[in-house]
Amino acid sequence: MQAEYKTIHRVFFAWNYPAEIEYLNKASEEGLQLVHGGCYSSKFIKDPDVRYRYQIDYGKIEDMGRYIETFREQGWEYINSTFNNWHYFRKAYDPTLPEEAYEIFTDRQSLNEMTRRWSRLALLIAFLAFCGNIMYLIDLIKRPSLPAALSFTAILIEVIVLVFGAIKIGKADARRSIKGDTALFTVFLVVLLAGLISGLTLKGMRPSFKTSQQASSVDQPKVEDRWADFTVKYADNYYLDLEMRSEKPMTFKVMSEKDGEIFSKTTEEFSEKDIRLKLPAGNYWLNMSAESGYFVDCKLQ
Amino acid sequence: MKNSEPMSESYYYILLCLAKGANHGYGIMQMTEKLSGGDVTIGSGTMYGATSNMIKKGWICEILSSEPGLERRRLYKLTESGLEALRTEIARLKRMLENADEV
Repeated sequence: MQAEYKTIHRVFFAWNYPAEIEYLNKASEEGLQLVHGGCYSSKFIKDPDVRYRYQIDYGKIEDMGRYIETFREQGWEYINSTFNNWHYFRKAYDPTLPEEAYEIFTDRQSLNEMTRRWSRLALLIAFLAFCGNIMYLIDLIKRPSLPAALSFTAILIEVIVLVFGAIKIGKADARRSIKGDTALFTVFLVVLLAGLISGLTLKGMRPSFKTSQQASSVDQPKVEDRWADFTVKYADNYYLDLEMRSEKPMTFKVMSEKDGEIFSKTTEEFSEKDIRLKLPAGNYWLNMSAESGYFVDCKLQ
Repeated sequence: MKNSEPMSESYYYILLCLAKGANHGYGIMQMTEKLSGGDVTIGSGTMYGATSNMIKKGWICEILSSEPGLERRRLYKLTESGLEALRTEIARLKRMLENADEV
């Protein structure tokens, strides 16, 4: 008979690893035996005639040979390790043995050492994400916009989740699964991804261009010269960097198809960055009129 | 702060078992269970963590068995400083018991 394999996609959060152990034990009872454990998917073989108990360990192992031997001595069969240092073991189930026979950490100290290894890493990542997020925060305060707000919120949620996980894993009890957490944190993960992806998508939809025009002299006054057309796909704050110089006062305008004049500046010399324009969705263009030689440089994003 | 902290039960029993001679992880576990009348067990995760830490501290070292039939089997051996740490711990435990008698 040919062996039948089954791959199950299921995400367990690190701090909820006892629930994963519980899940593997239950799968074994139902005839699905783990052959390869992973963070995002696990591979099983169908075999209703055997029953195993599973354990998961975390840490960078310096001496893999000694590690596997230490487990084998007590009847643990090494299955595999994931790329991020989670190690899977199984032991044939013997109903006459007490539950304690399937524990791999028999004192608080060694269990704490294991969970602390993960907490340290989680807190380090949270700290780096937090530092990176300060830049998003500064950008958000200086130039409030939807994409910046979404990215900031998404990373903030990640930081909160990691810190929460770092605290939670230390309280994990290997004998009691924390069911229900998986659903809650799937929501967290979805929020994080949705925040980042929609932030990037919205950023990509924004008009972003830099353009300049100049003339050494003007024969006839240029009036209402329609210049750069652009489209705004969603209402938000947009930012204009404007620099202009001319001999006689000139006028620079941002025009909307729907509302007409949005922004207007008439002067001989002007330079300002991050002029906030609240633009609803629609079609826009830049307008310029000058009576003398001029130079205009503008950036919109 | 004192430089010798109280030892965990697992550390203490591992050192105690090795004081009788080099042994492998399974031997240590069985001997510990026997000595403690089944009160103390050392699971694989605890055993690997404890032996790794004690190798780093220099209290034990790894040797390969030369026994016929068991060649190349990994054994742990108590070092001088490991014996010293065990003696310090035993003295601490004795003092604590004596103190209990005095009160």
